Amino acid sequence: MADAVLTTLLQNQLDHISQHMGRVMERTARSPIFSESHDFSCFITDAQGQLISVADGIPIHTGGGGFAVKAVIRDFGARDDIEPGDIFILSDPYEAGGNHLPDWTIVHPLFVDGKLFAFTCNRAHQSDIGGGAAGTYNSAATEIFHEGIRLPVMKLVEQGRTREDLWRLLKLNSRCPHLIDGDVRAMIGSTKIGAQRIHALVEEFGAKAVSKGFGDILDYADRRMRAAILAIPDGIYEGMDASDTDCFSLVDVPVRVRVKVKDDTVAVDFTGTAEQIKGFKNSSIANTFSAVYVALFSYLDPSIPRNAGAFRAVSIHAPEGTVVNARYPAPMTSNTIYPATEIIYAVWKALSSALPEEACAGWGKAAHCISSGTDAGGKTYVMYHMHGYPGTGAVRGRDGFPSLCTVITLGGMQIPNVEAFERKYPVRIDQQEMRLDAAGPGEFRGGTGIDYRVTVFEPAEYSFRGEGSGIASGFGIVGGVTGAKADFEAFDRSGRPIATPRYGVKRLPSLGIRMASSAGGGWGEARNRTPERVLRDVEDGIVSIRSAREDYHVAIADDLAIDLEGTGRLRAAAGR
Amino acid sequence: MTDTTIGRNLRSPWRIGIDVGGTFTDFVLIDSDGAIVPYKSPSEPKNPAVGVLRAIDGAAAMLGLSTRAALEGCSHFIHGTTVVTNVLLERKGSKVGLIATEGFRDTIEIRRGYRELMWDHRTPWEDVLVRRKLRLPVVERVAADGSVVTPLDEATVREAAEKFRTEGVEAVAICLLHSYANPVHEQRCAEILREMLPGVYVTASSELAPIIGEYERASTTVANAYAAPKVLPYLNELRSELTRRGLSKDMLLVQSNGGAISLDHVSERPAALALSGPAAGLASLQLYGRQLEADHLISIEIGGTSCDVTVVSNGAVAETESVKVGDILIALPSVEIYTIGTGGGTICGIDQGGLLFAGPEGAGAKPGPACYGLGGERPTVTDAQMVLGRLRAGSYANNTLTLDASLAVNAVNRDVAAPLGISSVEGANAIIRLVEQNIRHAVEKVTLERGLDPGKFILVGAGGAGALHVAEVARRLGMKIAFVPRLAGVFCALGMCHSDVRHDLLQSMSRALGAELLSDLEDGFGRLEREGLSKLEADGFPSVSSSFEKKLDLRYAGQQWPIAVPAGNLNVASIRKAFDEEHERLYGSSQPDAVVEVVNLRLAAVGKLPQLPKGGDGLTQLAPAPVKERRQVSAGDGSGLQIDMAVLDGTQMCAGHFFNGPAVIEEVTTTILVGDGDRVEVDEFGNYRILIGSANAGAANG
Repeated sequence: MADAVLTTLLQNQLDHISQHMGRVMERTARSPIFSESHDFSCFITDAQGQLISVADGIPIHTGGGGFAVKAVIRDFGARDDIEPGDIFILSDPYEAGGNHLPDWTIVHPLFVDGKLFAFTCNRAHQSDIGGGAAGTYNSAATEIFHEGIRLPVMKLVEQGRTREDLWRLLKLNSRCPHLIDGDVRAMIGSTKIGAQRIHALVEEFGAKAVSKGFGDILDYADRRMRAAILAIPDGIYEGMDASDTDCFSLVDVPVRVRVKVKDDTVAVDFTGTAEQIKGFKNSSIANTFSAVYVALFSYLDPSIPRNAGAFRAVSIHAPEGTVVNARYPAPMTSNTIYPATEIIYAVWKALSSALPEEACAGWGKAAHCISSGTDAGGKTYVMYHMHGYPGTGAVRGRDGFPSLCTVITLGGMQIPNVEAFERKYPVRIDQQEMRLDAAGPGEFRGGTGIDYRVTVFEPAEYSFRGEGSGIASGFGIVGGVTGAKADFEAFDRSGRPIATPRYGVKRLPSLGIRMASSAGGGWGEARNRTPERVLRDVEDGIVSIRSAREDYHVAIADDLAIDLEGTGRLRAAAGR
Repeated sequence: MTDTTIGRNLRSPWRIGIDVGGTFTDFVLIDSDGAIVPYKSPSEPKNPAVGVLRAIDGAAAMLGLSTRAALEGCSHFIHGTTVVTNVLLERKGSKVGLIATEGFRDTIEIRRGYRELMWDHRTPWEDVLVRRKLRLPVVERVAADGSVVTPLDEATVREAAEKFRTEGVEAVAICLLHSYANPVHEQRCAEILREMLPGVYVTASSELAPIIGEYERASTTVANAYAAPKVLPYLNELRSELTRRGLSKDMLLVQSNGGAISLDHVSERPAALALSGPAAGLASLQLYGRQLEADHLISIEIGGTSCDVTVVSNGAVAETESVKVGDILIALPSVEIYTIGTGGGTICGIDQGGLLFAGPEGAGAKPGPACYGLGGERPTVTDAQMVLGRLRAGSYANNTLTLDASLAVNAVNRDVAAPLGISSVEGANAIIRLVEQNIRHAVEKVTLERGLDPGKFILVGAGGAGALHVAEVARRLGMKIAFVPRLAGVFCALGMCHSDVRHDLLQSMSRALGAELLSDLEDGFGRLEREGLSKLEADGFPSVSSSFEKKLDLRYAGQQWPIAVPAGNLNVASIRKAFDEEHERLYGSSQPDAVVEVVNLRLAAVGKLPQLPKGGDGLTQLAPAPVKERRQVSAGDGSGLQIDMAVLDGTQMCAGHFFNGPAVIEEVTTTILVGDGDRVEVDEFGNYRILIGSANAGAANG
């Protein structure tokens, strides 16, 4: 069989296997974070820990998994201590190739003819891992020790026998041991199924062919990636996106990037980026690499396989001691969201001057909090206020989406139904509606963001993450305008305001929350939007008549008819 | 096929099944002796009813009957219609208004914030079926436990009705929060709207799909409202035309769940017709299951553009709680049809990175595959089959189509073989290998990923192209038998003649499973059963021919996805045990100590049609099938070798004929590939059974 045909068949089969693993996880895990939010990724690496295939979990998981397997090889492989029947677990971002502590990775080695052949893995965000706040996000953390249990590379299963002592340790360090128990079992189950299927593949094609196929699959992605990069004009492009808080005080935290495109390579240099900060928005190296890959793959061709071969054309320099490569013991649980978002935006902005037609406007940053408490049955619950997710940015050809789960998911995370939340948590959600006059104007406008109101009936602990309520984050691009920032207020049951921090953990009585989530940015000049589309938004209560006139330069009468002449004048004036 | 039924006296009453496809309208008549008469005539996409009536006229004429006689003799007229699907796909529905709880009118546009193909964030969503200015809030609120938090402010309903009137809305969907737990506000809204807007179609989510989840309920209800004003008049007109022409019984329609239903009963829920046509294929599959005395079957129905995979497991059709038509979610029970974009017209080539691809692009009916000579230049799966010698060159379908092998060779050579430096036969083999891998993956999605062992199933190849792949796919999945129905071309219409009448009823619950729940379960099922019985009686089914299938949707507390467990015998301990076992089987784990939640009570009320007698001809003496000719056909092992393969004429084969592969069988509507080492037998019903790897188990070809 021709090599290319074999490679096609192997790649197709390995992708099928990693998807099958994901399906097993989705269906068997206990926490809704997996079944509903897909906050996990199943992947396959070769014997050296090079990522071969990854099933679509959430995008920010992409490309980070290789670091975990390489840590296993470093800690155990080097002393020949990886045996058939072993299964490893790890999480620590400093010591074990993790991206942040809540993501535990199960690494399942598989052997062919007594030789280490590949790894099947599952990295998944646990419901709770101890630390200073229930639900893994301790926004008051100033050291990694405040964020939960740290797992070095450990054998959880030793030659087929689960280490019960270790299992108890894991459960003991979580506020939700019943979830940990079910979820880790589901993770292991998925890697076992993946391993079985790779054995079947080896049986069908032979170990030699499959092993060679791994290399060919990587080479293929390498070629595809380089072809895409060749289409970007050579040059050095700069981009910057910043936060205005270190979680404790207002301070400028810029992520700066210089993207150097030369022939078929991209060099991403973070020199000039802010030093690591006091709060938990510091990135690990695994997470920073992932964020860069998200930025590139979402900007370029989504059909390029996202494996270690495609990563070869990309070099990344993340200076130690900055927010994109923090030194121990900086806290970093937030990193898969912030600064991952700033990293993605800095790269997107840099690329927008190279390929403006393909430019992506900013998605709003989230500002919702997390409530946690004890349910009627005495079990700890953790509720993410997901119904207040922000609007997304526009691209050429479409407006932004009204509300998706932040850019690091690219929308691959489902928002549960209000009805499901109200059955599960002591809350009543009073509004989840598109905002008026919030979307960033443009030829294609941003997503509206959401007006969200909720009543929480019981006292609860709140972890605040008000990133989106500082500076407006859904930036406009190539002439488009930035979307409105988020607003967050809490008030007691009699309607009096309650002071809440932007970041931090606070125990509060029963309360109400009113939040307007960030809106997305627009693409292109607003005066190029067709008057009919503007009118439609006015009729639909998304854009006011005033905003139509001032932002889109379209004159609409009170009876909702377009004043063509007036529009012509307004647009001519705007074009000058 | 030399059809022995034609010219024979048909014994009334008979059943007629009519399936409307994009190109052909298929007609099947089965008489009281079980004799089957198939007939195909062109569809009329602009007005499908014209195509239906034409098919009846044509079939009647072929049988030497008047149309009136054909219809008067008919006891069950069962129709699969694509009008609902087309209205939804082509966005040609009515102008819809939506009534929502204040604060939640955008649920349907937010779409749970989910992008299935997340990396492709540039592709826009299609417009929602009801735009924002027609999504109007009413003041009311029901809590999760069904208690009323805020009473319905009827003035806000009236205000909305006025606005709908001004806007000329044709249908209104009502979806209020937690209406599955307490429908009283939705019911009152419906009353007010019906009173104020006579002639406007009104549909409420609590009546249509009382499930937990406002997005799914709203989407379903809006789709129902969107389709109803367009499809109900059409179906009513078709019914009266049929009555006028002699049909004395009510026309039955196939629902997405595979069961038939009268038009009157489906007029509240036309969205249940979304998969009307293809769902009937399941009844065919069940019919073949009875003939084969097998209760594990999977069909791969492959046409020009897609491959539909359906499963019958333990004699039961695989079902799903919702279907998607385009991007529109309809949360009504449906047979599960898993579709991939692999068909005869799927375009193949080498991508920019040097690997082979098959799809997703297709060549369509025009220009079609390169070998059609209609201007298509890119190689398709059909061209690969042509290169491999499996399809015969020359004219087809009464000379309306001529296949040219040299065009296929050129296309495969230029786009696949030459870039890889291999022969055109090797290139064509690679295409088929990839396509069959994709078909295998599709079959695994509906078996392995559910904990079913595909090796235990019989694989049925249907549609024009299914029979070319069925033996090889079956072999690679470890199956023992591949099956090709003689009537592969009218698969769904045949199924319609065997579709039982069915009503699906549901009550959501969300309570922990325990002994104390027993009386609630009994009450719930009792209520559903009474409702089902009265519906079946109205359809003319006495209670003796009615049956009720009870199921509970169960899950471990905290899980999202429930598993349906049979609950015919309401014994909490045994239901619990069955659930644990099912979970273990599906997912390799169970949690015997965990709390199990009852999510829904489900009841299917089925009115059984009487079983038809076997219509097959009696066995003749076993004999090897005659070889029509031999030609060069690829060995199919990837070597590029061509062998001198036997070609059999299907129309000359009847019950008792067998042949040891490799062989190609040319049927009227399909071509069957029998692999090296396989044995094909024509069964007593005239269908083809391919026994995988059993060539030496029986007599030699002679």
